[in-house]
Amino acid sequence: MSSILGRVVATERRPNTPHEFHFWTALDSPVGIGTIVRVDGRDAVNGTVPRVYGIVTEGFSWTDLASPLHDVMGFDGSPSAESLSQTDRAEIRLYTAAVLRHVPEEPLQPVPMGTVFLADELDVNIALRMDGYLKPGARTGIPIGVYRAGGTDAPIYLDADFLIGPEAAHLNISGVSGLATKTSAVEWLLQSIFTHFPAQKGSVAAVCFNVKGPDLCYLDQPGEIDDADRALYEKCAVAPVPFEDVQYFAPYKSDGVSLNTLRSNEALLDNVTALTWGLREVLQYAEVLLNKDDVDAKADALIDFIKENVLDKRFVDQMLERPHTVTSFADLDAWFKDVLRALEKKDDQSWRTHHVATIRKVRNRLSNISLRCKGLVADDGATSDLPFGSFQDRTVYVIDVAGLEEDAQDLIFARVVTKLREHLEKRDLGVQHVVVFVDELNKYAPGDGPETYVRKMLLDIAERGRYLGLVLFAAQQFRSQVHRRVVGNSGTALYGRMDGDELATPGYAVLSPAIKTKLATLEKGQLMVRHPHFTQPIFVRFPRPSVMRGRDGVSQYPAAQAPSLHAAVLRTLRTLDPSLTLGWLQDVTQLATDDEILRARNDVVRARPGDVRREFSKHFRAAVAPRTAVRPDAPSPLPAAPADDPYGF
Amino acid sequence: MRRQLAALLPDARPTSEGEGALELASSRVDAPRLISATVLEGSGPLRARRVFQAAVAGFRGFLDGTQRSLVAGYLAGGAPIVVGRAAAVIRERRNRRMHTWGAPLVEMRLYAPHGLATPTEWDALRQIAGHQLVDISAREGEIDGEHPLALRDAAFHRVQAHREALEQRLAERWCSTEHDRLFIDGGISGSDTVAVSSCTVGVVKSHRTLYAEGVALQTILGLGRSERSSVFEVTSPRRTTVASWYLRLRDPMGRDPMWGLVRVEIARPDPAERHAIGDRADEVSRWILAEASPLALPDARWDKMVYGIRDCEEFLRAVTQ
Repeated sequence: MSSILGRVVATERRPNTPHEFHFWTALDSPVGIGTIVRVDGRDAVNGTVPRVYGIVTEGFSWTDLASPLHDVMGFDGSPSAESLSQTDRAEIRLYTAAVLRHVPEEPLQPVPMGTVFLADELDVNIALRMDGYLKPGARTGIPIGVYRAGGTDAPIYLDADFLIGPEAAHLNISGVSGLATKTSAVEWLLQSIFTHFPAQKGSVAAVCFNVKGPDLCYLDQPGEIDDADRALYEKCAVAPVPFEDVQYFAPYKSDGVSLNTLRSNEALLDNVTALTWGLREVLQYAEVLLNKDDVDAKADALIDFIKENVLDKRFVDQMLERPHTVTSFADLDAWFKDVLRALEKKDDQSWRTHHVATIRKVRNRLSNISLRCKGLVADDGATSDLPFGSFQDRTVYVIDVAGLEEDAQDLIFARVVTKLREHLEKRDLGVQHVVVFVDELNKYAPGDGPETYVRKMLLDIAERGRYLGLVLFAAQQFRSQVHRRVVGNSGTALYGRMDGDELATPGYAVLSPAIKTKLATLEKGQLMVRHPHFTQPIFVRFPRPSVMRGRDGVSQYPAAQAPSLHAAVLRTLRTLDPSLTLGWLQDVTQLATDDEILRARNDVVRARPGDVRREFSKHFRAAVAPRTAVRPDAPSPLPAAPADDPYGF
Repeated sequence: MRRQLAALLPDARPTSEGEGALELASSRVDAPRLISATVLEGSGPLRARRVFQAAVAGFRGFLDGTQRSLVAGYLAGGAPIVVGRAAAVIRERRNRRMHTWGAPLVEMRLYAPHGLATPTEWDALRQIAGHQLVDISAREGEIDGEHPLALRDAAFHRVQAHREALEQRLAERWCSTEHDRLFIDGGISGSDTVAVSSCTVGVVKSHRTLYAEGVALQTILGLGRSERSSVFEVTSPRRTTVASWYLRLRDPMGRDPMWGLVRVEIARPDPAERHAIGDRADEVSRWILAEASPLALPDARWDKMVYGIRDCEEFLRAVTQ
């Protein structure tokens, strides 16, 4: 048993309550803000001596001075005169602690007078109610970090039922930018989840949106960690290795050739897949790209008409010059042109109740999408997507949207999350649980501003996702600027170092001034954790994630120069048939335009044929008709001259 | 105590909760006195001497006692029943911090006049206090002694004597086990053991009795900061003779003449060592001057009180209340 750390005190002015108590300690005690302590009561209640667990939330210190002036007088106004004093003034360290747990729970009484001890690992388990979900055979603990105080190193576990669902779910993390806390914490937590998520609870995968820089681009590469990190990994029983299974997805740049990601180094392209969507995929989410000013009721009706009657169908109208089968933006534009031409010919103002102005407006907006999201949206309807339906357990799917315009980011986010939800509802995603990590949540789900499709969708996930296994891990710099229903539905909240202005907002009013001060000065690798089982926030340390940091990755694996069209197409096709050569590709495509080559590539990627050479070549006419050269018949030999020919030579 | 008295002495008149301590209400205050003393240091009259050299820490322990007496009730005949609590402690300085040396002494006694109590009342008081019941009856022929206020004063002085006894007991323990110097709040002449010990220094803050007359008195009242008087001898028929001198701890400019003035008592030197008494007084004075910081504020006597003694009082206040 540890030695006595302090004694509980209560005065009329500062009484103890069932939720708060005070104790004093020696001046050299290792107590600090966030330290967990145990109080052993003096008197038995119902035959049991009560034990109370608490966490230090405030500290006070004072001396026997009645006025600072007395001290000034004592030193004759000279601070350096301290050496004249032979005795240090009597001083007290008084702490206020918030109650974490009473044992027994009933009757709930004010904290009794008693002795205070530093909590050991077992005490920490009890204090935070972790003993309830760390039972052998029914263990659902996910280590989030290590609580460290006064020589106690205790792993802190989150309850998987309350982190991944179904009891509660979602995680929100706040902290100032640039301290490698938010992203690092999520990377570490995903490693911990993949290691400790109980097998009986099914499979879990993660979908991460890389919204800025190279943060998430090297999750499968080993990173540098030190001995202190290794000790934390060992304490949490997580192997300090990078993620084993990571799949990257990135759209093309506007050239349609090179991938729009910092992970474009040749050595890392094995698990990078292009993300391209066609008209069908985009039109379902037109609402994401078209704001309220764009889409009024009339325009909405026309878009619905197109979705219902035109898209992917053979559309015939006597007024039109020809039948249309619209599968791509190019087809759609041709259809619009035909409709408008027909109206001009007839000098009519409406077609099938849709006014010509509405038709022109919708054409303008929809056609614009392929320009605004060039690289992601293919004119020709080509689609390369996440493996919905065949998600793998303990796999991270990273979608790199860092280099995209805001519209394209919104489109990707909305469609991917909606598809995840649809598949989880149908139970055919491939895994039972998906963690979706979104950074910069205050941008996607702001507390104010216009209602957007993305915000509505995030609210929907936050409020209903846990029943489906769709879990939102979201990060932002300013929690106060995120929609209340999104953060309010996050069962678990992590806080890194916080900005003073942010801490002054009403959302942090429940924290004591000392906790706020600690939050404002947290070191790298420290977090404050709120979790449904913890009645008070807890401070933990977590290790650096054992994956390569973004800036290290960029220097070690510099982004590739923009490849030539042929090189880029060959790289893509080689994923289907490694025997292909650049010479073959150049021969086949020597008379083709760039668009034709890209269309052929997209078709092959979509169809994934057995014979890639044949399927790809079918898209191009031969440069020269194959013809076998025929040797001309040799002329008959001249007759030999008679031997006696006097004119012969 | 009041509840016990009410239970066992239903005819006794209880006092109210708010009745003040006798220490604040005592009508007996010693009259100011001037007593001439024999100068031990040098051959001339008493004079002021500058304490040269820097103040230096010399004390390890600080001893002080407290007392508190309250009238708990009155006997049926009107005589007071006084509850007195006396306490003493030595606080030891270790690494600039104060700690309790040994165990503090805290004792409570009940004071009542046996002669004015009925046998039933006395038995009841004995039942409450046992051996801690003290008779404060007036001496034979002392007619005024039955005056209730006189009885209260008598109780007050008994409590005071009890406190001094506890202080002496602790000081004797220190002298028997320790060799480091002990700062005692008050005089040391009450105990033979303490008065002759080389490790005890008594510092008296009250000056109802001044050991000087005429020019010598002017010299004492005119002492400046870090000045002391010549060493003189304090003798009393009932006390051990000790060597003593006045020392000014703080600058009295603009204050009353006794501001920061203390009287120091140490063991009287052997005749063979008498020539060195001046050096000894300087050395002890430097020790005392070193204790002038930190200030004993907010205590009203901070000009004369050293911080170690205030710490003793604070400690005793905490353990006795």
